[in-house]
Amino acid sequence: MPIIEVEGLTKTYRVFQKRDGVRGAFQGLFKREYKDVHAVEGISFSIEPGEMVAFLGPNGAGKTTTLKMLSGLIYPSAGAASVLGFTPWEREDAFRRQFALVMGQKNQLWWDLPAGDSFELLREIYGIDRHDFRATLAELTEILGVEALTRQAVRELSLGERMKMELIAALLHRPRLLLLDEPTIGLDVVAQVAIQKCLRAYHERRGVTMILTSHYMRDVEALCDRVLVITHGSLVYDGPLSGIVDRFGRFKLIRLEFEGTPPDNLDRYGDVVKHEGPLAEIRVERSEVAAVLGSILEQQTLADVSVVDPPLEEVIAKVFKEARAENDAA
Amino acid sequence: MIRTFGKYARLLGNLARYTLTRELAFRGNFLVKVSVEVLWLGILIAFFRTVFAKTNTLAGWTEPQYFFFVGCFFAVNGLIETLFMENCNEFAELVRTGDLDFLLLKPIDEQFLVTCRRVDWGTAPNVIMGFILMGISLVQMGWQFDAVRVAIFLLTFLCGTIISYCFMLLLTSLSVWMVRNQSLMEMWWLFSSLARYPKEIFAGPWGAPLGFIFTFLIPILVVVNVPSNAMVRMLEPGIVLLTVVATVILLWLSRRFFQKALRSYRSASS
Repeated sequence: MPIIEVEGLTKTYRVFQKRDGVRGAFQGLFKREYKDVHAVEGISFSIEPGEMVAFLGPNGAGKTTTLKMLSGLIYPSAGAASVLGFTPWEREDAFRRQFALVMGQKNQLWWDLPAGDSFELLREIYGIDRHDFRATLAELTEILGVEALTRQAVRELSLGERMKMELIAALLHRPRLLLLDEPTIGLDVVAQVAIQKCLRAYHERRGVTMILTSHYMRDVEALCDRVLVITHGSLVYDGPLSGIVDRFGRFKLIRLEFEGTPPDNLDRYGDVVKHEGPLAEIRVERSEVAAVLGSILEQQTLADVSVVDPPLEEVIAKVFKEARAENDAA
Repeated sequence: MIRTFGKYARLLGNLARYTLTRELAFRGNFLVKVSVEVLWLGILIAFFRTVFAKTNTLAGWTEPQYFFFVGCFFAVNGLIETLFMENCNEFAELVRTGDLDFLLLKPIDEQFLVTCRRVDWGTAPNVIMGFILMGISLVQMGWQFDAVRVAIFLLTFLCGTIISYCFMLLLTSLSVWMVRNQSLMEMWWLFSSLARYPKEIFAGPWGAPLGFIFTFLIPILVVVNVPSNAMVRMLEPGIVLLTVVATVILLWLSRRFFQKALRSYRSASS
């Protein structure tokens, strides 16, 4: 049975449009203009227990709004959702006891106190048994390698250490569902990898369901088997990460290594994306790969040849760019 | 029910402990805050001592009765400032930044967490000073112990504090729509200005209707007047009943309004 079921979830915001200048500001006191912003438009999907799913999309696509509706923070304008068997925006205590939301850009720990004090307060709020609390805290500090830092004031921790403490705070009550909104934002590569490893390790130990939004493809590649691509509040792809290239990658890359100097007029085969010494890379429409490859092999002398998919990040960036252009045009 | 109450009481205790630890870490700020409050009460007492040097009664209140009233106001106001004021003040900022998210995610009553998560220890001495002033006034007027009056005083003092809290919650809830709510402080100042004087000052063609409005429609004047009157002047069962009823209605109304406000929360983008 799915842990999350979403049907036609929609969120529309009414946004005040401020007019220019002082005159406009005064006019705004009496008559206001509003615009409807469709943050999420009729999204439907379901997620099974134990899955690790990524929400991908450009800024303003509706990823965070969807996460916030799933966690019950905001009410949808239309549609239905069932998370852990509850309607999230009814915010029942039994529901809130079973999930956690981590936001990379915000922190819930008390800034001036050691993280340990915030953990103790969370123990009280969630009603965690003292013995279980100690065991979970020991397990999490060990996985994250921060045993020695829980008595240090949060404001004195590095960004990476603070994120680890935020993760511990989110996992203390052993949630069945973990929602992560850009958990590695602003972290250096070492800290990013450390967080990814910890999340992976925790998932393997506890089988927790995770939904992640991130702008770092490395996070997604390291953690998620399934990806939902959202643009303009609509779901445009739901499937494995590798499938994105099949779905959106209209091109393939032909990598060529010439024996001797390559000819100058390689662009007659397609877009030349690289040309260094005997090596060249040509971008070709998928449907034309066989024909172009045939011509090259017939006309050129090659030491090596291969056909590969373009890098995933490039494909996704293209999807986002096209979506933004469509949006701007609309 | 008892278990839930115990849980919330324990939680409040822990929150109070942590905020004390935090405030003591910045002891300079803490000491200045306490000193300002003590000085403020001192100025107030000196002012009314000067007034009573020229007259025996003020709006029908004798000097010790009036100082009991001032003490009662200080205690109610001190309780509100210590327990709720800072939290309610910060609410607009939580809405603006979206940090309210973390409070709404916790499996606990949102109203409790929003309005009680911090204790402002710097204003706590006001409560003690208020009770000391009330005690001194009772000794000065040669007050005879009366269990009924004490019970009614305690009940109406609690009601007055709850009514103040409800008004503060109503004003606070507006932050969800207004996002920037600096006017909250000004409205609260108006509220406490009305509550800090005996209701007898609202007399005459302009004052009497105001007195009526702020007693029966927007019951601000009952907050300090009713417990003080019950203890040191006349005991009016009708107005005591009105205070209790107003408390229950306001508790219900302010909670509904707060919940309605939360439904409109938009959670600022991350």
